[in-house]
Amino acid sequence: MPEMKKTLKRKYFDVRDAVFAEKNDYRDHILYVSKEELKKEIRPLMKAVKDVDFEIVKPGENCRIIHLLDTIQPMLKTEGEGTQYSGFFGDPVMAGTGVTNLLRGFAVMESAALPWDESSASSGLLYPRDAIMDMTGPIADMTPFSKTVNLVILYELEEGKSSIEYDSEIRMIGIKVSTLLAALTVGLEEDDSEDFSIDEENKDLPNVVLVWQCQNQGPYSNTYLYGQSIDDIVPTLLHPNDMLDGCVVSGNYVWPAFKVPTYLHVNHPILLELYKKHGKELNFKGVIFCRSHNPSNWHKTRCANIGVKIAQFLDADGLIMAWEGGGNAATDGMLTIQCAEKHGIKAATITFEFGGVDGTEGILLVDDVPEADAICSGGSIEKPYTIPDVERVVGGKTFRLNKESGGFFPPADKSLTFEQTTHFYLGGNQSGASTLFAEAY
Amino acid sequence: MLKAVYYINQFYAGIGGEDKADTELGYFDGAKGPAQAAGARLKGEMEIVRTIYCGDNYVNTDAKYEKMLPELKRLIEEVKPDVFIAGPAFNAGRYGVACAKVCDYVRRELHIPSVTAMWWENPAIGMYVKDNYILPTTETAAGMGKSLPKLADFALKLAKKEKIGPARKEGYFATGHRYNEYNEKTGADRVVAMLLDKLNGREYRTEVPMRGFEQVPPAAKVENMSEAVVALITTGGLVPVGNPDKLKQAFADKYGKYDISGVDELKKGVYESIHGGYDTTAASEDPHRLIPLDEMRELEKEGIIKKTFKYFYTLCGVGTNVENSKEMGRRMAEDLKESGVSAAILTST
Repeated sequence: MPEMKKTLKRKYFDVRDAVFAEKNDYRDHILYVSKEELKKEIRPLMKAVKDVDFEIVKPGENCRIIHLLDTIQPMLKTEGEGTQYSGFFGDPVMAGTGVTNLLRGFAVMESAALPWDESSASSGLLYPRDAIMDMTGPIADMTPFSKTVNLVILYELEEGKSSIEYDSEIRMIGIKVSTLLAALTVGLEEDDSEDFSIDEENKDLPNVVLVWQCQNQGPYSNTYLYGQSIDDIVPTLLHPNDMLDGCVVSGNYVWPAFKVPTYLHVNHPILLELYKKHGKELNFKGVIFCRSHNPSNWHKTRCANIGVKIAQFLDADGLIMAWEGGGNAATDGMLTIQCAEKHGIKAATITFEFGGVDGTEGILLVDDVPEADAICSGGSIEKPYTIPDVERVVGGKTFRLNKESGGFFPPADKSLTFEQTTHFYLGGNQSGASTLFAEAY
Repeated sequence: MLKAVYYINQFYAGIGGEDKADTELGYFDGAKGPAQAAGARLKGEMEIVRTIYCGDNYVNTDAKYEKMLPELKRLIEEVKPDVFIAGPAFNAGRYGVACAKVCDYVRRELHIPSVTAMWWENPAIGMYVKDNYILPTTETAAGMGKSLPKLADFALKLAKKEKIGPARKEGYFATGHRYNEYNEKTGADRVVAMLLDKLNGREYRTEVPMRGFEQVPPAAKVENMSEAVVALITTGGLVPVGNPDKLKQAFADKYGKYDISGVDELKKGVYESIHGGYDTTAASEDPHRLIPLDEMRELEKEGIIKKTFKYFYTLCGVGTNVENSKEMGRRMAEDLKESGVSAAILTST
């Protein structure tokens, strides 16, 4: 029987600046972006989207981005099976081998004021809450995108389309734009490259898996695997290179703090850290991928047990439990930790916490189990933050807040105090990308 | 020169052991007992100007403690110290409580920074650590030489009004106060390192301590259902359309109370759910999925219950702070009791 061999070479092309130009181009680390060329390419995709515009935002700028949806890593598969973001724009052929070109230090972001009206999936949970990030100031380090050059796609929407139409079109356009820009690197010399392979193992080291639970509750609260939403999925096994090539794509806009954008599925910080230590301190055995927000305790127990069984098949000694989403997902995560520990697999996890303004109020997590004795803090969401006045806002003129109370639309360039971090893009730090944590005094 | 006042018990004051534990509050000018060794450590930067002592039983008797406070206040304020130091108490329970209690008083009432030290299992820690600096010591006084310099150094820092860093750097027992900061390392770095420590049998420390969930005893059984007035409560976020009281869809800080007297069914378009944690389409389609008033009216007709309480209570159970939840629950229960309600059905989502 042939052994599985999977090596993925990532070629990095550094983007130090981006400017608008007549023609798309990438030379001397500068990305030239032609709005017209991009629009021409994506126009055939536009049915629920009336028009698009683009803005460039750079690190250190006194700038705020609002109505943020997904953020995408621009990349292009140049050799090997499948494509980048396989399953979108083609068949879901397995990726994870060959060569993929990536624009490094650069991200494509989507910004749209998705409708709040009742005709869409805008009831209860399933409406897009305003997602806010600042390039400088107190909340800048909650997101890695304060350090990247960002091309923000601004979507103007047609009226009366369904949330599924808006959602899917916005995503397809985002992927398309990122692919077109990444394609500018073809034939050029990369700045840097890395080979990713877990084929070689050291039997003396512990075997470790990552359990990655993603949000899935309906339109605007969804995750895609090889192009298909993960409704009813049971835990499945991914090669880490699958994720590096974009087999997991985000469609989750409901709670900006608890979401994980596509960029961080593709550059999953925990996955990359496990890769860094592979063969040196551990053997990285794979990613067990599943959905969080399973609807009942019965479903959660089923998910935890199937996930742990896969870990057992992989001879895992330890697992990292990480999840996307709020309290509901915490229970899925905790049950998985409990099940793993009961079966002799040691677990560590990372999560946001509560605790009130000074940290002393009540319990810190929505759910916990006695086995969860190794928890990293992703910071507390119950901390007030005042974001400052800014010179420039990209994405709109006013915030869109408090829908349930009829809406609150203060000017987006002015200072505003938030009681929680829930509106801050990636404020919950669930993939471990940021250094935000709650320090114990 | 900075000044400190030091607190010890009757034993360290050289008065006696258990038989002298009822000794009243007293003092020496200058340093006495462990205060002398601490003073030596302070190397001319700070002087221990007064050593206060009291018997462990005396200070732990509420009436006597209350009575001694004015004198304690006078003895401390008279010499205007920059810091107040107590102990170390090691594993001595009563001495530990005495040290922590007096430190708590001095910090809170006299606004003078204070610090004490003891063994991690000393019961005083659970009682006073939330707002007070308590440093760890060895289990017994055999480790006095090891424990005292740390106490003296920390006290000096307090006296100098230096910024006190987090518990993991300064070494004091975590107080429960937690604030967002940026770590030197990302969450991904730290979680992988923590797992490797765990797998390799190395020491690891969770960053998020478990505080445990309270057990809530179930309410007593309703003895006579046919006489019961039953209230309906939901954490599913049902409100009159338009959310007139502006209840929040998450992080609830108040609840709504809506009159349903004379209403036989909760109609779609009159009530809706504003909950921020699930797809509310089905709940808004038929509000009885959250507040089963239709069934309650049937039970009234059949005489199974006496009646349904005239108000229903509602809020959104998403991310609600536990302390707020308790407070709202208490107020709701009080209101229900005063209104003669004998049972309640709480529907969650």
